[in-house]
Amino acid sequence: MHPGIIFFLVILGSVLFHIFTPWYWTDIASNWGGMDDTITLTFWVGGGVFVAVCLFMTYCVFKFSYKENRKAEYKPEDKKLEKILTWATTLGVIALLAPGLIIWNQYVTVPKNALEVDVMAWQWGWQYRLPGKDGKLGTTQVININDENPFGINLDDPYGKDDVMIQSDAINLENNRPVKILLRSVDVLHNWYVPQFRAKMDAVPGVVTFYWFEPNKTGEYEVLCAEYCGVGHYAMRGSVLVQNEQDYATWLGEQETFSDLIAKQQNLVIGDTKLAKK
Amino acid sequence: MSDPQIEGLQLKPGFKGMSEDTGSDQTMFKGVHWGKAMMWIFLLSDTFVFSCFLISYMKGRGSTLVDWPYPSEVFALHVGGVSVPLLLIAIMTFVLITSSGTMALAVKYGYEKNRKMCGWLVLATALGGLTFVGMQAFEWTKLIEEGVRPWENPFGAAQFGSFFFMITGFHGTHVSIGVIFLFIYAYKVFAGHYENGGKRGWFTTMKGDYVEIEILGLYWHFVDLVWVFIFAFFYLW
Amino acid sequence: MSDEYDNNKSYQAQSSETMGGSAPASPDMDYVRPAETPDQELYHGHSFITKWVFCQDAKVIGVQYFLTAVFTGIVGLILSWLMRLQLGFPGAAGFMTAEHYYQFVTMHGMIMVVYFLTALFLGGFGNYLIPLMVGARDMVFPYVNMISFWMFFIAVAVLMASFFVPGGPTGAGWTLYPPQTILPGTPGAGMGILLMLVSLSLFVIGFTMGGLNYLITILQARTRGMTLMRMPLTVWGIFTATVLAMLAFPALLVSAIMMTLDKILGTSFFMPTILQAGEVLEYGGGSPILFQHLFWFFGHPEVYIVALPAFGIVSDLISVHSRKNIFGYRMMVWAIVGIGALSFFVWAHHMYVSGMNPWFGFFFATTTLIIAVPTAMKVYNWILTLWRGNIRLNTVMLWCLGFIVTFVNGGITGIFLGNVSVDVPLSDTYFVIAHFHMVMGIAPLMVIMGAVYHWFPLVSGKFLDEKLGKWHFWLTFLGAYSIYFPMHYLGFIGVPRRYFEMYDSPYMTSAVGMNEFISMAAFIVGAAQFILIYNIIRTLKVGKKAGQNPWKANSLEWLTSTVPPEHGNFGERLPVVHRWPYDFSVPGAKDDFITQTTPPSEVVHTEVEKT
Ligand code: HEM
Ligand SMILES: [Cu+2]
Ligand SMILES: [Cu+2]
Repeated sequence: MHPGIIFFLVILGSVLFHIFTPWYWTDIASNWGGMDDTITLTFWVGGGVFVAVCLFMTYCVFKFSYKENRKAEYKPEDKKLEKILTWATTLGVIALLAPGLIIWNQYVTVPKNALEVDVMAWQWGWQYRLPGKDGKLGTTQVININDENPFGINLDDPYGKDDVMIQSDAINLENNRPVKILLRSVDVLHNWYVPQFRAKMDAVPGVVTFYWFEPNKTGEYEVLCAEYCGVGHYAMRGSVLVQNEQDYATWLGEQETFSDLIAKQQNLVIGDTKLAKK
Repeated sequence: MSDPQIEGLQLKPGFKGMSEDTGSDQTMFKGVHWGKAMMWIFLLSDTFVFSCFLISYMKGRGSTLVDWPYPSEVFALHVGGVSVPLLLIAIMTFVLITSSGTMALAVKYGYEKNRKMCGWLVLATALGGLTFVGMQAFEWTKLIEEGVRPWENPFGAAQFGSFFFMITGFHGTHVSIGVIFLFIYAYKVFAGHYENGGKRGWFTTMKGDYVEIEILGLYWHFVDLVWVFIFAFFYLW
Repeated sequence: MSDEYDNNKSYQAQSSETMGGSAPASPDMDYVRPAETPDQELYHGHSFITKWVFCQDAKVIGVQYFLTAVFTGIVGLILSWLMRLQLGFPGAAGFMTAEHYYQFVTMHGMIMVVYFLTALFLGGFGNYLIPLMVGARDMVFPYVNMISFWMFFIAVAVLMASFFVPGGPTGAGWTLYPPQTILPGTPGAGMGILLMLVSLSLFVIGFTMGGLNYLITILQARTRGMTLMRMPLTVWGIFTATVLAMLAFPALLVSAIMMTLDKILGTSFFMPTILQAGEVLEYGGGSPILFQHLFWFFGHPEVYIVALPAFGIVSDLISVHSRKNIFGYRMMVWAIVGIGALSFFVWAHHMYVSGMNPWFGFFFATTTLIIAVPTAMKVYNWILTLWRGNIRLNTVMLWCLGFIVTFVNGGITGIFLGNVSVDVPLSDTYFVIAHFHMVMGIAPLMVIMGAVYHWFPLVSGKFLDEKLGKWHFWLTFLGAYSIYFPMHYLGFIGVPRRYFEMYDSPYMTSAVGMNEFISMAAFIVGAAQFILIYNIIRTLKVGKKAGQNPWKANSLEWLTSTVPPEHGNFGERLPVVHRWPYDFSVPGAKDDFITQTTPPSEVVHTEVEKT
């Protein structure tokens, strides 16, 4: 068989695979549709270039394969052609870059009304903290963390007392309300990633990183850790339940706050006076 | 093979001459000894090593939560009951810069084929370097006695000790290697390896030439220059 | 780019005819400037040891590098089989725990990138080809060159030793991100990581010695008439890659030193306050992101250290086997140099979601996509070289065509990942794995294979078998393509990389079949490489004799006094160069090629363009 035919079939196969693939992105459940659109655009432009270049190559292979008595063309360069190609490529690249940067700008500009969620990661698990009635999260420090103070909240920070603590890898979010995910880690790098939300960012020990999104579809989603964090990396999962306003409010009402926790602990551990004194 | 003049090579002036020269056949740097070109490129690479160290230092110093110690206090020397800031460092720097001067003279006498002067000056440079390393060892001892360690430091941020020992240690290693080579080369000069067409080294058919002194000189000046930066970053900032 | 590009006056002035300062000679004159430096004297080994073991001949050193690198490559390949076994058929390899998996991922990645590809292209092809192609007798400092290889050898030995120490090799991922790398939650956080860091440092030191040799040989030891703009693109690619290596490896060395100190002395360069198992460790105040900056300041140029030699070599192979000059030579040279320079300004595109200041994203996305332009120009020029050529569809050409397909595919997915907000959903997923395997795993591999088939007749004097070669090519190309093309879609589903096991995640179960298919393909591709080994052994025994310049190429490596070339390469007198290496199918010429050493007076009636 002529090699050109096989190359042609490879290109055709790639295109058909792309069109008929049963494996494609999960249905989006957040406001980041723009990312999907940019991907689609890049697919059109890039895919077009891929197909064009490879087809041209295949054509040459058919048309100009070796013949004893034919001589190749002698043409060291063609400035005009090279110039046209440079500019066309530059334009294509700009067309792809521009939407990318616009969306990145949205990604790093968090809306004012976003709900702040403290996502705390460790080897290997997650837990969450939401602001209480005052709407503000208390400040934290890694060295404060212990059984009585699982989030390491600074005890002298008044904002911390009413923080809602969710000591589980599952959290609920309210549909159509932007959330600002504040990531922190107590040991190594992690990354709180929900494929349906598209967004992600590493949690880095020592600093607080952030990103935001607005869930727009109720349902339960799996959280994956997307930054290698040691042997338990692949098993470091969590879940998110996106609910409508009412259900969410009910759920939130049932959660424990930091003061609840302190009170509970004082009742439980009578011998331990460390917290009670403060 | 000291840098020869090339016959029949007249360059056009300006940019055109430069690009013709650069792109011409055989050599890019006309008349430059292979070893010398090699040393220059090695030093460029080494510059990147030290830059990475110093940039890391800046970043590390900028991001610690604990205060950075005051260099003028940490590095002070007590002379007759008075604490003189930076005295030792000033002397060290002076010695090293002086040794750069003797090195430059050694190169000059080398090219003049003045074997004696060249040899003595290389030896003087080696002794200057040795003094520097000795004083650095003294300074390390002093800091260690005061409780500074790579992982901790009684005066403030632990990173101070980490960066200080790592970077001065790395530089000190450069100086020490230089000193070893200076002694070897001093011997070679006195033994006349660079005279009368030069003596071949081991396993190589290249003949010795006074240009080797210049190459070693390049390294030595570089090590001095790096010290000036380290000096500025650690002691004056 | 356009002003360098229009700058053709200086280009013409470099031609031998006008070189030498005096009045421009007529184009048919064979004038070449006199030699600037005396001929290099070489140390000829006499015993077996000095001839084959501690040898100073760059060609032997090249082969030594090649064989050592291929050995590491086979280790890397076997590790990839084990990983694919686990991913396609979880539990099938009974002994495989998550610890093992991560150790294999790490060692596979590091071996393939550094010890296999880098060493093979620069140490292997660089040593063998540079002196031959620029018309030198050997590297400028053969002794240092020899030490360079043995440093590399020790580095490999140390790396391999880490498989046998307590705790096994490091499982930190080839990126070695702290703090995880040196903490007990990662396999091999004791001896394993230390040996890795030591091995990397030795590699850098050894490479520096070799790299200085490559650079000075190219800059200062070319033969008469060999101007920069007459060098084969292979030399340009290796040259630029070596410059990148000399400037990028320092960052790796520094980060390795700092991490070693964090590990054994307990400094906190990269270590913030850490709580593990309820205990606060004795670290504090360091910055994990600093390591990432240092690592990628090395890591991104590293990608081009692998890619640029491949670009150069493939250009030469395509040109020779389409019997046509490479299209747009000057554009190709400037593209190589430009890509090399730009590659130092894009490193943080690996860190879009690392938590660094998000405003960097704008800058690095822009620089990254700017690189796409010269890269695309290179692709256009390759296919335009094929256009109206006279293409020999032999094994070498097939590898080149395979390279074009895989490289363009991987280049396009690079535009996805470089475009910061598109990277957000895709980073750290299998899309990334598919992308970089396509662009810097498979594509350079295709070039290596093409180069092996192309230069084997020079190294051994015999042709590799074409029929076996074609089987080797098709199995490898189709197999590798069917591994990595579908894999992109795993990334779209959202499967993260470095996952030992997906369990029953809803969007993953749908892809079980695909994973099995990919694994099967991986086994076939791996096995297909043994065809090459068999081919080489058979050829050495009974292969067809090649003779001199069997491909009818123009460049100097084919014009040696003997085949295979002896120590000193060119016999009594060094060749004198009169033209670029791409004068194929010149109108009016008797043959379809004019070697670089053919003086103008021998081809008076041709319409050759001045170079
Ligand atoms: C057919 C040959 C190959 C196969 C089947 C293969 C397979 C794999 C697999 C299964 C992984 C692990 C993916 C994960 O769990 O995240 C991997 C990672 C990797 N591979 Fe390959 N690979 C091959 C060739 C290569 C080559 C030639 C290179 C050279 C560039 C390479 C470079 C890497 C790198 C850098 C990683 C990432 C390691 C890490 O995540 O730390 N591979 N490969
Ligand atoms: Cu993880
Ligand atoms: Cu990169």
